[in-house]
Amino acid sequence: MILNIILSGFLVVTFLLVISKRITALVRTFRTQSIFLFLYTLYMGISQRHTELFIVCGLVFVLKAVVIPFVLLRIMRRIDVEEDLGLLVNPQLSLIIALGFTYLSYLLAHNAMALKNSMESAAFVASITAVCVGFFIMVSRMKALGQIVGLLVMENGIFLAASAIAGGMPFFVEIALFFDVFVFVVIVEVFVYKVNRLFTHIDTSKMKSLKG
Amino acid sequence: MPSRKVKLFGIVNVLIYSLLLIACIVLLKYFLANGSRPINLWGWVYIDSLSVFFLLITTVVSFAASIYSIGYIQAEVEDAKISTRKAAAYFQLFNLFSLTMLIVPLLNNLALVWIAIEMTTLVSSFLVGFHNTKESIEAAWKYIIICSVGITFALLGIIFFYYTSSKDAGVKSLEWAGMLSGAGMFDPKIIKLALIFILVGYGTKAGLAPMHNWLPDAHSQALSPISGLLSGVLIKISLYAILRFVMLANPSVGYAYSAKFFILFGLVSIVIAGAFILVQKDLKRLLAYSSVENIGLVSLGLGFGFFGGIFAGLLQAFNHAVTKALMFFCAGEAVRSYRSNNMNQMQGMIKLMPFAGIAMFLGFFALVGMPPFSIFISKLSILISMFEAKYYFLAALTLISIALAFTGLLYHVSRIVLGKPLQGVTVKREPLSSKIAFIFLGIFILGFGLKIPQDFFDLLLNCQHLILGK
Repeated sequence: MILNIILSGFLVVTFLLVISKRITALVRTFRTQSIFLFLYTLYMGISQRHTELFIVCGLVFVLKAVVIPFVLLRIMRRIDVEEDLGLLVNPQLSLIIALGFTYLSYLLAHNAMALKNSMESAAFVASITAVCVGFFIMVSRMKALGQIVGLLVMENGIFLAASAIAGGMPFFVEIALFFDVFVFVVIVEVFVYKVNRLFTHIDTSKMKSLKG
Repeated sequence: MPSRKVKLFGIVNVLIYSLLLIACIVLLKYFLANGSRPINLWGWVYIDSLSVFFLLITTVVSFAASIYSIGYIQAEVEDAKISTRKAAAYFQLFNLFSLTMLIVPLLNNLALVWIAIEMTTLVSSFLVGFHNTKESIEAAWKYIIICSVGITFALLGIIFFYYTSSKDAGVKSLEWAGMLSGAGMFDPKIIKLALIFILVGYGTKAGLAPMHNWLPDAHSQALSPISGLLSGVLIKISLYAILRFVMLANPSVGYAYSAKFFILFGLVSIVIAGAFILVQKDLKRLLAYSSVENIGLVSLGLGFGFFGGIFAGLLQAFNHAVTKALMFFCAGEAVRSYRSNNMNQMQGMIKLMPFAGIAMFLGFFALVGMPPFSIFISKLSILISMFEAKYYFLAALTLISIALAFTGLLYHVSRIVLGKPLQGVTVKREPLSSKIAFIFLGIFILGFGLKIPQDFFDLLLNCQHLILGK
């Protein structure tokens, strides 16, 4: 029951991501998604009573729900650009596409993966939807921050997939993945500042000096 | 004085990489003398023929790049393009970049391999955007985002592998030896799906078309020694990761399944690259597209693995690495002297810089596959494997693409090297370090064309057996 609520929450928040029109709204929705991911790992930790799971769960909270959203919002404060995310696909159509992703994930879970356990397959559907939505955000939002958040959403989806179907990756792999995500965010932050300084905007669709 | 400090940095680096190269050759000898048994150290390090081969590519090219860097960075400092402090940062980033590439083939855990490959992207993005110009930052941004997305898909593929490994084979780890022992029991349905994610994901980083969009930008904007490393080593390191998963997939779905994708991606790459080579204006972009073409050829070779194509493909990977490094280094000299990447402004290189000019001309002949240079042999072997597989149409298409690339390169390079120097371009001193780097790479290019050393031959054969699982 609790797991049901958590997973539905995760899925609903994933849909909310595609209808966000402003950058800060997108980041805050990402934070909410991370909190649901945290709740999921917390539930897993409590039901399986693994110390390692609690550490992973703590890291999800600290890194994905606190530090990364903070860094992203700080970027927005510092560079002071317009909030508009620059949607190439409008929210309504985006939502329909996201629903399509969910259906595809459902097909994937039942045909290719042949998941029997209903909770497992629900978590898998939610996770693959998040991966697809993340990718969709990356290609259909013009601002650099949209691309960063898109990638982080994909990462969230993959994290959920790993703990849903495979019971989580080996412990040190999880730690290394967190480290990787953290380094990624730090480095793209540097590059967003550079892009903003040189181009005076962070609209990647207007970066066209290299062609052919 | 500061310029001497830069030189000192560079020389220390050369010493480090010469030691690494020697260590790698010793490893190769030791490995072959021990009957090519895999070495497993403390569960973290795993070395088999494939690892040794990719280590060899990495150490050879990074040694050459470290030599070339001395003169290149000194000149950049003298031209006031970068400060001394930034030059020091360059050497640190260079080492970090090489280090991440060196540990990829050594790691036992496939998830750590993934992380190391992602780290190569993150570290080298600074080297791509080193000059902080609009173009270079744009290239770095594209590079970091596209490669990270690609590799995120690869991570999904890894999770599918892990899933079937723990569910069907009972191996709850991502360690190479353990997974391989259970590979026969993997669920073919899941593996087929996972392999697509792996191929698209790591294929992005390997520069296979149509996921190659980042490559011409990043390889042309990076500093020239780094362009050599990116084209020579980085895209091959990604191929290494693909091969690992192909080997895991073989027992359940068979090599023929992966081979189909290798052929598809290879074909798309050579056709697209061939077309783009013709219309280039920028010298380094031209070379970057040629890298797409060559990685396509490697992929085609792997696609005809049952007919000796793996041997040919890996040989092509090595030959391309050294040849392309040489070409990028020569291009670096040209770009510095003409103060432009635009090929219309480069003429008469042979008169201005005889050594680099000749090296570039010979490098061009090597790159397009003229005998007696090494790429001739590997390209020919790839074509032979196609003919043996009776894919005549495909072989013809490949030949046409190679011919297209040849024409494009011939037109551009002959104009740059021969031609009459434009007014106002002054003769630049050619640094000794560049000359040494050219000669070092030239030895491999010519030497491997005349005769492939027995040890290297054995190593490639071992790799072929390993990948086919014989």
